[in-house]
Amino acid sequence: MTPSPYRLDDFDTLDDQAFRALVRAFLRAHYPADLRNPPKRLHWDEIRCWYMILSAHGWLAPGWPRAHGGMGLSAAKQLIYMEEFEQFGAARMPDHGIMLLGPLLIRYGSAAQQRAFLPRILSGEHIWCQGYSEPNAGSDLANVQTRAVLDGEEWVINGQKIWTTLAQDAEWIFMLVRTDPAARKQEGISFMLVPMNSPGVTVRPIVNLEMQDEFCEVFFDDVRVPRENLVGEINRGWSMAKALLGFERIFLGSPRQSANALDRLKLLARHVGCWGDPVFRDRYARLALDLADHKALYEHFADILRRAEPLGPEVSFLKLHQGELYQRITELMLEIGGEAAIGLEPIGGNRDLNPAGQFLASRAATIYGGASEVQRNILAKNVLGLPG
Amino acid sequence: MTSTEERLESVRMIRASAAGIADRADLGRIRKLRFSEAGFDRQVLQQMCALGWLGLRLSEDEGGSGLGMIEMCALAEALGAGLVPEPLIATALATRVLAAPEREAALEGRLLALPAWQEQAGDPYAPPSASVRQGRISGRKLFVPSARGADAFVVTAREGSFLVRADAPGVALEVVTLQDGSHAGTLVLDGVPAEALPGRIEAGLDDACLATAAYLLGLTDAVLERTVAYLAVRKQFGAVIGTFQALQHRSVDLKLQAVLARVSVEEAARLCDANEGAGDRRAAVSRAKARASDAALLVTRHAVQLHGGIGFTDECDIGLYLRKAMVLAPAFGGAAFHRSRYADLALDHAADPSAARAQTT
Repeated sequence: MTPSPYRLDDFDTLDDQAFRALVRAFLRAHYPADLRNPPKRLHWDEIRCWYMILSAHGWLAPGWPRAHGGMGLSAAKQLIYMEEFEQFGAARMPDHGIMLLGPLLIRYGSAAQQRAFLPRILSGEHIWCQGYSEPNAGSDLANVQTRAVLDGEEWVINGQKIWTTLAQDAEWIFMLVRTDPAARKQEGISFMLVPMNSPGVTVRPIVNLEMQDEFCEVFFDDVRVPRENLVGEINRGWSMAKALLGFERIFLGSPRQSANALDRLKLLARHVGCWGDPVFRDRYARLALDLADHKALYEHFADILRRAEPLGPEVSFLKLHQGELYQRITELMLEIGGEAAIGLEPIGGNRDLNPAGQFLASRAATIYGGASEVQRNILAKNVLGLPG
Repeated sequence: MTSTEERLESVRMIRASAAGIADRADLGRIRKLRFSEAGFDRQVLQQMCALGWLGLRLSEDEGGSGLGMIEMCALAEALGAGLVPEPLIATALATRVLAAPEREAALEGRLLALPAWQEQAGDPYAPPSASVRQGRISGRKLFVPSARGADAFVVTAREGSFLVRADAPGVALEVVTLQDGSHAGTLVLDGVPAEALPGRIEAGLDDACLATAAYLLGLTDAVLERTVAYLAVRKQFGAVIGTFQALQHRSVDLKLQAVLARVSVEEAARLCDANEGAGDRRAAVSRAKARASDAALLVTRHAVQLHGGIGFTDECDIGLYLRKAMVLAPAFGGAAFHRSRYADLALDHAADPSAARAQTT
């Protein structure tokens, strides 16, 4: 097999522009055409081929160090990688293993855990899902009640997770479990790795407002895993999980979702014939200005990452604004679409004219990854310094 | 262009020297100058000249400091935080246009020239209809800021920009007192001797507009800072009201608009200094002014509400911020004007999404 021209020993020898060009060329050369801009989150059997292409070229884990099989990219280049994938319309993969678990194991895992799990993420053998939320631990995530009790050399796990994205496709789940019910709630939580085929694990997909089964409930009834499946120190799971949220927060604030929606709003306005209407135009201009300023805000935080500085609590402004802007755009879609917009299928079967679908899809943007109300709580206390 | 480090340093120095004149904690001076004859203190303007602020954007050859919009915005922001009433932005706009001897006098504070360009309410960018015949200008100019304090006016006409002395025969000035305690003049010129100038006011309007946006940004941040501090001490129902989630969330929404105004102004200043394409630059200035005008009015309105009864009194400083925002929100074009200008500049030229997709697939 000839070596991939995209496999470099050190990506830092490329300047940012050359790296951007390389990412574009890679996507053009390898991305499966029929998977561009998919209207929904893809399942493993649909996206597997792309995952394996990235794996074969060593392009699966942009943020992991090279020693662990990652690309070893700087924060600046990770942003470029992410931006170009989004720009190209590449589908999101089942990336919890790559984005969240991998960095956590590299930082806190034992050598044995790193050896056992990291290569299998890179090979596509293990697809991971994330078990954080529970029925009574949503916005108040530290309230997780799923229990893990040590019985000899095994943990026995009982409880329930919910909103577990693509759990039906996963071989493994990494999860927050309560190991000390007596401690203050953040301090009794541990980080556990559990095979999804363990006896006692039950997965029930949930149909969401988009009529998709993207997320699931996962039930644990006397599920037994070896003692060494706990990552890091016992009762330190909360701070470990939180320490790795920085990149996720800028990812959830990317302007791409709103930019795509605004493009489609323009198409829809032309389709329904209101593009030249001055009242519509002013409303559209407001949204376009909001998006332009949102891009400037995104660049402000991206610059902080590029300088390799930590993101402060202010980054919550980004996620908060993106979710609400995306919703304002899709609300105007629904409004101008009128009767033509309310069919279950896109208008005339054109995926780009799907106001009702986008309106519904955007409802989730202010809920996942920390609801807007939680973001506001964080900002009030940690940025404005308000009491209580 | 100087390096990023050097520019950060010059911005730091401007902020430090601005703090001597713009006191964001004590608005006593500002309160006293309200509704006075000139509405500002000529001596303070003189000090600003001595600090080199009036010539900040002029080249060193022209007697200025050769700095860019990044520095000008940092200065205007500091002035806005202290509600400084001296008409620096307007004076700078007029001074840039002057010929060498008058420019020198203006930079030294001996000649106070103010710009008189606007003829239509609601459109500060409309071309002038005033005209000059045989060295004499006739026309009617609106909203000349702080006009009573001027020694001379820089007046736009179809033929270019002209210098008119304030005491020349044929000059009539009608003055309207504004909500912030300053005033604006309607300048009526009837065959007034006019001296042709090398520069044109129109070329500096976007800079003045962006500087006004930066002033509004400073004002917005300052009034929000005061309001949040008030929420953290005011007690009702046995609790500090800043602990109430309804008020916390509202404060966050106000801060979000201030944050967006900041990145918008900063990006526009960078684009101006980087000499980007004229269309992009103008669109960015419109974006910044639309955002800053709306944010200033939004935040000052809520600042009154969050202060409760005391916020509705003239004695409380919050009203000073509100009234200044009311006066500056429409200056150099209000939010609606700039949204519409942005739409004309940016919306139809933006790549058509369907075409873009067709190209890439």
